Amino acid sequence: MKHPESCIECGTCVTVCPVEMVGGHAIVTFLADPDATDYSVWLCTSCWRCQEACPAGVNVYELMMQARRREQAPAGYQASFESVLACGLALEVAQEDLDPVRAAWGLEPVRLPPPGLVRSLLRRGG
Amino acid sequence: MNADMMQGETLAYYPGCLVLQRMPEYEAATRAVLRELGIELEIVQQAACCGAPVVESFTADWVYLAAYNLALVERMGHDTVVTLCGSCTNALTRGARALEDPGVRAEANRRLEPWGLAVTGEIAVKHLVRLLAEREEDLRARIVRPLSLRVALTNPCQVFRPGEVMGFDDSMEPQSLRRLVELTGADVVEYGGENECCGATLYLADRKLSLAAGRRKLEATRGADVLLHGCGNCQLLLRHFQHLIVRDEPGLRQRAPNLRQRALFLPQLVGLALGLPAEALGLREDAWR
Repeated sequence: MKHPESCIECGTCVTVCPVEMVGGHAIVTFLADPDATDYSVWLCTSCWRCQEACPAGVNVYELMMQARRREQAPAGYQASFESVLACGLALEVAQEDLDPVRAAWGLEPVRLPPPGLVRSLLRRGG
Repeated sequence: MNADMMQGETLAYYPGCLVLQRMPEYEAATRAVLRELGIELEIVQQAACCGAPVVESFTADWVYLAAYNLALVERMGHDTVVTLCGSCTNALTRGARALEDPGVRAEANRRLEPWGLAVTGEIAVKHLVRLLAEREEDLRARIVRPLSLRVALTNPCQVFRPGEVMGFDDSMEPQSLRRLVELTGADVVEYGGENECCGATLYLADRKLSLAAGRRKLEATRGADVLLHGCGNCQLLLRHFQHLIVRDEPGLRQRAPNLRQRALFLPQLVGLALGLPAEALGLREDAWR
């Protein structure tokens, strides 16, 4: 990953990152130190604090997402993505399982997304 | 009370994945509270995943998922959609922002056309915190059972950031949730981590770190009666996965008894103060004492 030119390596992002607070090393480790290799772009809670706190206006989130798209995803992300492709939702659920739960809570019935939707929406070109 | 409220109004409601499937009590409590304010929710049928952060991690085309969901809201004839999770709020709002670009909008409409949909992106996406904050005075007038509870807050991160896009409250130190809790009569307990993410979405990449983040928050708020939040992801980690957090560190149970009872959704707390029955809010009668 190319270190962003606008980054001044001040480390503000590291101080606000919830992942760093529990001993993990997220993209902010790399921003603070371009030579760092012990970090993962997948370690992120999507809380946007680093980007919001950045005095140089680095778009950390977009940088991270672009890096992720070039890398092998961890199993959890892969499974959620495949679920979205298959059924349109990050967690798989069957209509017949959902209906009684909603009925028990007095909530109106809800129909799940149509089959094939997400693959169609994400299809490139065409 | 303005004319809209007198007549009642109906807003679209985007159910997301987590709340729809695992947290019906959050939707039920939300509806119960909003009904008191004269607001009904009409669920978005056939809604898909909002797109972020999972789909966004794989493709920049995630924005067409957000566009699809916004198109459904437009077809319903609504101009506002209510959300209950931080991530859904964030993704749909950023999606609407992306659709301001004519090129993105044209491509979105090209992809939506086979599904009989069209999108402008001119939809206000409002998380429940924002919706209630806008009705603060109306809400205040309806508090019939002030609560004597000590409440620790966890702000739903993605509702407020990036501030330039979300355009609501202070992006690093938001005050809306605090004000809503104070309105119920409850005392807000400071612990310094109000604006720190719970760590739930980290679970997809590193379970141990995610549980460590959850443990950090449970530990820091152990002096409070309630750990209050406004997001399905927070609930997933801080309540549903609490047994995993405690399993990793049994001492936590001794230091912080009754952990399971403490993580509550905002409308559950507000609903109690409005005098709504605990059962209608998805709470056992003894669960919040």
